Amino acid sequence: MIRVIKLYKTFKTPDRRVVKALVDFSTHVKKGEVVVIIGPSGSGKSTFLRCLNRLEDVDRGEIIIDGENILDKKADINKVREELGMVFQHFNLFPHKTVLENVMLAQLIVRNRTKQEAVEISNGLLDKVGILDKGNAYPAQLSGGQQQRVAIARALAMQPKIMMFDEATSALDPEMIGEVLDVMKTLAREGMTMLAVTHEMGFAREVSDRVIFMDEGQIVEEGTAEHFFTNPINERTKLFLSQIL
Amino acid sequence: MLFNRRSIITLAVLVVIAGCIYYFLTKRGITYIWHWESIPEMLFYYGTKSAGETTPHLHLGVLMIGFILTLKISVVAIIFAIILGTILGICRLSTEPVTRGISIAFVELIRNTPLLVQIYIIYFFLGSMLRLSAFTAGTAALAIFEGAYVGEIVRSGIQSIHKGQMEAARSLGMSYSKAMRHIILPQAFKRIIPPLAGQFISLIKDSSLVSVIALADLMFQGQQAVARTYSAFEIYFTVALLYLVMTSVLSMGTQYIERRLSISD
Repeated sequence: MIRVIKLYKTFKTPDRRVVKALVDFSTHVKKGEVVVIIGPSGSGKSTFLRCLNRLEDVDRGEIIIDGENILDKKADINKVREELGMVFQHFNLFPHKTVLENVMLAQLIVRNRTKQEAVEISNGLLDKVGILDKGNAYPAQLSGGQQQRVAIARALAMQPKIMMFDEATSALDPEMIGEVLDVMKTLAREGMTMLAVTHEMGFAREVSDRVIFMDEGQIVEEGTAEHFFTNPINERTKLFLSQIL
Repeated sequence: MLFNRRSIITLAVLVVIAGCIYYFLTKRGITYIWHWESIPEMLFYYGTKSAGETTPHLHLGVLMIGFILTLKISVVAIIFAIILGTILGICRLSTEPVTRGISIAFVELIRNTPLLVQIYIIYFFLGSMLRLSAFTAGTAALAIFEGAYVGEIVRSGIQSIHKGQMEAARSLGMSYSKAMRHIILPQAFKRIIPPLAGQFISLIKDSSLVSVIALADLMFQGQQAVARTYSAFEIYFTVALLYLVMTSVLSMGTQYIERRLSISD
């Protein structure tokens, strides 16, 4: 479903140093696969997700989603993004819109659904993430966990083929992490193709098909969650895991 | 809310200032004979306007006629300043160097030359080429001048919105323009209401400059009335008060809007 071939991405820092975020990065994700990406900060995990929906421009390489090279100049990036749901660390809900409007807006102006359809779908999704009663509240009136669940519902409303989670639980208070992870687990079990940057190894163990450990823009080690718990091979992997587990 | 504490304090300060001026004039031995009685008929008068009118009616006096024209000029100029300013603000942030360059050059050119000169240029040069009326030329000059400032305010407003908002909108498949229209601009405008209000208050006051192209606004009517009656103090105080009414209403209006929009905070 997703094929990434020899991706390179560099950033220029304000003091003109060049930071290599992704170096010769290749991977593929099958339909229905749940992939967890772990690694120290600055290892390129988020950059990888952001390159997939072109929030970042890639230096070189290929990203093929459903047979289409999305880095091609002819590719309609808005169409590509409709199929890629993204959930951000800081939720990024639209603060001037109610919860229901947040979930409905893109359905109306991107998917061109009727208002009635959008309301039905939105309420269904809000029910699914457990905050149906908050439809008329504004994001600022919700807790972090509730906001992130709205953000998930908002992404799902586009009925994407792939969902990406960029440290979706990192900005949450500890007691709210569980409610967001539960929603993510439900999605994974329903067969959604998922890419999740997270350090929640419990989540990885429960629902992931594969874990990728990244460092300095490259894949260092790759395998099942069990593999990482029982016999990680690389020294850097071991060191990293000893710190987060 | 018309008589909240702030407006009462403002009024009290004005009365004290007026008192000081009066005291100063009399103490210095300047004998000025006040003719306040001639002011009301400059606002409203009851009678017949032309020979054709048989029954007397309530008519607008010269200052009210000027007041209404100033109001018209200001409202039209504000609307066009918002439109121009939004376009300038968005272009200023474009990744396209030419678009950005034009916007920067325009803003700098307009902001760094006097409005009075611009009014003359637009009226005498463009006005005679394009056959613009004094109203069109004067209002256009104001809208362009204030639009340049509004452009900078809009730019700062857009820049103040966290970039995660644009990313979230784009990741949902919205185009740049849809994201701007539905996500970024509504939030930016809410945030820039206070500086915009200040700018529009300036606009109302700056509109007095269009009197130089014989546009019969409040200032022009005031000057004419002074030339006729020599009651300079009374008339200019009244003119100032009428400007104050317009700007205060705008101030209160924007405070009301701000309160209304703060429900989502």
